[in-house]
Amino acid sequence: MKYKSQKVAYWFFAACMLLFSLQIVYGFIMAFAHMGFDGLHQIIPFNVARATHTNLLVMWMLLGFMGAAYFIIPEEADREIYWPRLAYVQLIAFVLVGVTAVIGFHFGWWEGRKFLEIPRPLDYLVVIDVLLFIANIGMTIWKGRRMTTTSMVLFFGLLMAALLYLPGMIDTNNQTTDSYLRWWVVHLWVEGVWELIMGGILAFLLVKLTGVDREIVEKWLYVIVGLTFLSGILGTGHHYYYIGTPRYWLIIGGVFSAMEPLAFLAMAIYGITMWRKAGRHHPNQIALLWTVGTCVMSFVGAGFLGFAHTLPQVNLYTHGTLVTAMHGHLAFWGAYAMLILAIISYSLPLMTGRKRYKGPTASLAFWASNIGMLAMTVAFGIAGVAQVTLERRMGLDFLDVQKEIQVHFLGLVIAASLFTVGAGAFIYDFIRYGMPNAEPTGSPLEDGDGDQDESSDAELAPEVAE
Amino acid sequence: MLSKSAAKAFFLIGTGISFLAFVGLTYDTFRQIPARTHADQITPEVARGKEIWDHKNCMGCHTIFGEGAYYAPELTKVMERRGEVFVRGMLRDPAAMYPGQRQMVQYDFTDAEIDDLVAFLTWIGHVDTNGFPADPPLRQHLAPAASADGRPLVFQQTCIACHSVGGAGGNVGPALDGVGTRRDADYLTRWLHDPSAVKPEARMPQLGLSDAQVTELVTYLGTLRTEH
Repeated sequence: MKYKSQKVAYWFFAACMLLFSLQIVYGFIMAFAHMGFDGLHQIIPFNVARATHTNLLVMWMLLGFMGAAYFIIPEEADREIYWPRLAYVQLIAFVLVGVTAVIGFHFGWWEGRKFLEIPRPLDYLVVIDVLLFIANIGMTIWKGRRMTTTSMVLFFGLLMAALLYLPGMIDTNNQTTDSYLRWWVVHLWVEGVWELIMGGILAFLLVKLTGVDREIVEKWLYVIVGLTFLSGILGTGHHYYYIGTPRYWLIIGGVFSAMEPLAFLAMAIYGITMWRKAGRHHPNQIALLWTVGTCVMSFVGAGFLGFAHTLPQVNLYTHGTLVTAMHGHLAFWGAYAMLILAIISYSLPLMTGRKRYKGPTASLAFWASNIGMLAMTVAFGIAGVAQVTLERRMGLDFLDVQKEIQVHFLGLVIAASLFTVGAGAFIYDFIRYGMPNAEPTGSPLEDGDGDQDESSDAELAPEVAE
Repeated sequence: MLSKSAAKAFFLIGTGISFLAFVGLTYDTFRQIPARTHADQITPEVARGKEIWDHKNCMGCHTIFGEGAYYAPELTKVMERRGEVFVRGMLRDPAAMYPGQRQMVQYDFTDAEIDDLVAFLTWIGHVDTNGFPADPPLRQHLAPAASADGRPLVFQQTCIACHSVGGAGGNVGPALDGVGTRRDADYLTRWLHDPSAVKPEARMPQLGLSDAQVTELVTYLGTLRTEH
């Protein structure tokens, strides 16, 4: 860590850990309800648990991205955050809005639109908050001493994410139009601009952790985000097959979303290649493991499993079944959750000045959570395929089929327990790292500068006093 | 070897073209949506129904157009599949419709709200969804159930959700094979009008069937006789 103001990232990440643990709790509530144990039905019915589970996810992802940006941008721009206090204000405001929204869900204060359940008045607050954040990192880049590809990709990803939130707020009484615009937010986030953010964070991590030349890392970053948008924008069409939109979306959505795995495949190859080319042995190997892990798992979850049911002739039967939950869980985990855990693993030792990454809990966190999530994916997959076969292909009644597949939710709960052990180990480590240091720490951790790999920047990056 | 500026050009041009194509297709889609969704049939009832749908977060359990959660049935074609009697019964008192099963929230909707939701779901059912949800292609390979010929529509939509005939149907209530031998027309008529008036501890809800529907059902149930 070069700059004092970077440590605001710590508090963003701490909020992530809190929301992440709550998200897991609500996941268990739903898994048990699927098994027939719905004892909480009167207090937390399924739709409340569901809205809470997914919105907590979105919130901690956004907090993670913002924290990552506050950590990365000063380092890339070579200056302190432009308005350091605003970063704290903006964090507190975001958490307050988020907590209000989640509590509101329990009292039926919501919009009832999948993933965008946050009620309208709070939507405006979210937009204002995120725009303040964009202004803050924008000014930091603008007034900074250098403008890198990594920081620009990250900045535009975040800016587009904020702007794309707006179409979701257009009012309509036609369910088809409503759904059409909702996917502008949801799809163009997760299969569009979030990948831009992901690419930016990944490029930063790979430059720092592998020591591969920045020019090479950033060149391939352009190729990957190019592939992402080339396939992902028109790939939105895979949400427009069956919602009342014209038939040509079957072809356009099918063709372009079939190309979407290419971007993730490129990302996986990119991560692994950079890892193999690593010119130095960075001491924080666990951060590198999370970084390469997110490249690989995003390909498996988002790329491969997404492809598995994106073709219209398959999707006609799998659309709206647990097959979607199978893909959704591994996609979000692999692409975004692991990415945020990677940047946390990388930045935490630098912010706190402690090196806990060599401990056994760090490995436990990685392996238990990943094996657990893969097993959850398998459980969802088996339940989903059984549901598709019995209900959609043989025509059995919905509830009869649900009883047949209840047993797979036992498998899900067992897998999720292993996942929780991993997540718990990560959070335990996070807490044991302690508070961020008042003083920036740099070279003692043989990190944070990476100057020998950024020769072109060397003269622009004088050591900052510490 | 690819240069960084070539990679950047690939990104900018590719994104630009995709974005323009997407905007163009969106323009055309919005032009077609009114006809494909029969937007002229979005009456005030339908609009209010959608408001209730959103306000209660029905998508938090159900799917519509295949979108939502996977805890409760897909509802795009529910009016066609279950009919008004069943849907109204479910909205009035979900626990009574599926006692001891997976629960729906008891919303205590007013009759006007139920009218609005029924209007909304009826409108949804007529949207051109490119064939979703598909007819189950393997249904014909299942063991042929008792012939469905001659069954009243309301029986096929509503009764079969809980009761079975010839092994096909729900298992919430008792199987109806031989019910015509066990019960006479008068008993069945009184039962169908209000089960709890016949047997106070009855778990079957009052479905609000019309006189014509009851007559139709009693005639049909009378034909379900035990052969011996």
